Amino acid sequence: MAILEIKHVSKFFGGLAANSDVSFEMAQGMIMGLIGPNGAGKTTLFNCITGYYPPSRGEVVFDGRTMNGLQPDAVCKLGMARTWQKVRPLAKMSVVDNVMVGALCRTNSLKKAREMAMEQVRVVRLEHRADFRAGGLPIGERKKLEVARVLATQPKLLLLDEVMGGLNPAESEEIIQLILDIKRLGITQMVIEHDMKAIMRISDRIVVLNSGEKLAEGLPGEVVSNPEVVAAYLGSE
Amino acid sequence: MNASLDNSRGNTTVNVLLGVVVIVMLFLLPKFVESTYALHIMILIFINIVMGSSWNILGGYTGQYSVGHSAYFGMGAYTTMMLMQFRQIPPWYGLWAGMLAALVIALIIGSICFRLRGPYFVLASIAVAEIFRVSALNLKDVTNGAEGILITEIPPLTIGGTVITDFASKVPFYYTGLVFVLLIILATWLVQHSKLGYFFQAIREDQDAAHSLGINLTIYKNAALGISAIFTSLAGSLYALYVGFIDPSTVLSLELSVSIVLICIIGGIGTIFGPVIGALVLVPLSEALRSNLIGESLISSGLVKAESTLGHFLTENLSHAHVLIYGVLVVVVILFMPDGVLGFFKALAAKKRKEAA
Ligand SMILES: Nc1ncnc2c1ncn2[C@@H]1O[C@H](COP(=O)(O)OP(=O)(O)OP(=O)(O)O)[C@@H](O)[C@H]1O
Ligand SMILES: [Mg+2]
Repeated sequence: MAILEIKHVSKFFGGLAANSDVSFEMAQGMIMGLIGPNGAGKTTLFNCITGYYPPSRGEVVFDGRTMNGLQPDAVCKLGMARTWQKVRPLAKMSVVDNVMVGALCRTNSLKKAREMAMEQVRVVRLEHRADFRAGGLPIGERKKLEVARVLATQPKLLLLDEVMGGLNPAESEEIIQLILDIKRLGITQMVIEHDMKAIMRISDRIVVLNSGEKLAEGLPGEVVSNPEVVAAYLGSE
Repeated sequence: MNASLDNSRGNTTVNVLLGVVVIVMLFLLPKFVESTYALHIMILIFINIVMGSSWNILGGYTGQYSVGHSAYFGMGAYTTMMLMQFRQIPPWYGLWAGMLAALVIALIIGSICFRLRGPYFVLASIAVAEIFRVSALNLKDVTNGAEGILITEIPPLTIGGTVITDFASKVPFYYTGLVFVLLIILATWLVQHSKLGYFFQAIREDQDAAHSLGINLTIYKNAALGISAIFTSLAGSLYALYVGFIDPSTVLSLELSVSIVLICIIGGIGTIFGPVIGALVLVPLSEALRSNLIGESLISSGLVKAESTLGHFLTENLSHAHVLIYGVLVVVVILFMPDGVLGFFKALAAKKRKEAA
């Protein structure tokens, strides 16, 4: 059974169709790559899926339940969590406190939350930064913090929005390994990424958006050899 | 690692001991200090600490800058006074009613104003407080309107037939204020060391991130406002009983709302002791300026002759400019100490330690 069904989702900003009649499904445990040129509507789709914006049309079904009308906090509690393309550290709080906020979604005990948080801090290898102020971290570590924080909410489905953006190759490789580790834990993931090599390596399937519409969907090999996809990418560059 | 842990534990013990000593001294103070003026200043400081600390929970920890807290202060003051003067209900019951009333209107105001963010929330909070001021002014049958309410007498507090106090001196107000201060500091500490505190600060740092991490913004913003309003109301009740007179232009004024915010900004926002420092700085400062302490002392010490132009300026002009001077000083502090007095000295101490190491 599909863990996520996106059914004819459209999102309009005034006259602009940032998403237009997008439909696809994700199976439990897979990694779905979501690609497309700048402004294709990838982040907007994340926003529609997680309740940040209500979709103008269409429906999102997660784990058999419609997400229509739910607020982001309710969506997170149901087990779907997202990171932000433009990272949003809780700047004046420490790294471990940031992750604790995520963990407190599942427990009322600070002690328990701290344990859960430290576990995720170790997963993303930030333990040497645990007591640092989140606002003072360099970009690579901020991206890791984003991931640790959503992992602490114990998601079934994780939506990662360009967690490799702005990172050097070594840092990107760490994130790729992290994503594969998360897959091994059985967590389903949808990953937005501009780095084609990375997305080809990690994705089980890929959806291509262009100007808000779904241009193609399929196995990584199928998608890159699709002439329409090639045209969209060349046309935009 | 171990050394630094031991070190911090040592500091906590010292801090706790220091705290106990200060509290004991504060409780003994009226036994040794005869001066009613000194007690008066202390009571004002206590009331200001409670006001500032209450606002701090909403503004400092949760990042929702209300400039309409006079609404809750006035709600406490008016409820307690009206019940006492018009219904003969003693104030120690009245202030509970005041807290309840403040909580109820806080939740109503919150459910409306928290739809707005940033500067829009600030404006809405001002507008709502103005509605309360204008209502109190016009509902003459209920509130006495602009005439205000004057206390004729506070009934003596008796427990099991023995009179605890008849409120004839400043001492009972001093102790009430001190207890309220300890209560709000305890409340702030509890908030900071609980799930609430984490959620409040997450909302302050980034509301969208907080929302996406499973925090229900409506519930937690209203929780912060509710706690804040209850304690602000308590400060209002104490103020009313102590001063003995309230009217809309004092306990429901925009000026009051602003001064509540200032206590925190001056002292340091989002810390337990910021508002304490703020009140310790602002109350004596405004009293000194109001009574023209500086000018008087310059003249009486003989540094400046009373008949000279400067002396004339000090006694005649400067004494009327105290609001202006107060304003200028506040601006200077905000400009040069953006994290408040407490933050400034903490940063200074950290710098010293770095240099030493
Ligand atoms: N809140 C908004 N209001 C108006 N227009 C918006 C809003 N959010 C996004 N858009 C527009 O919708 C389109 C899609 O934006 P979106 O951020 O979803 O693209 P993207 O695929 O994530 O791009 P990128 O790769 O640059 O992150 C863009 O034209 C953008 O300007
Ligand atoms: Mg994007």
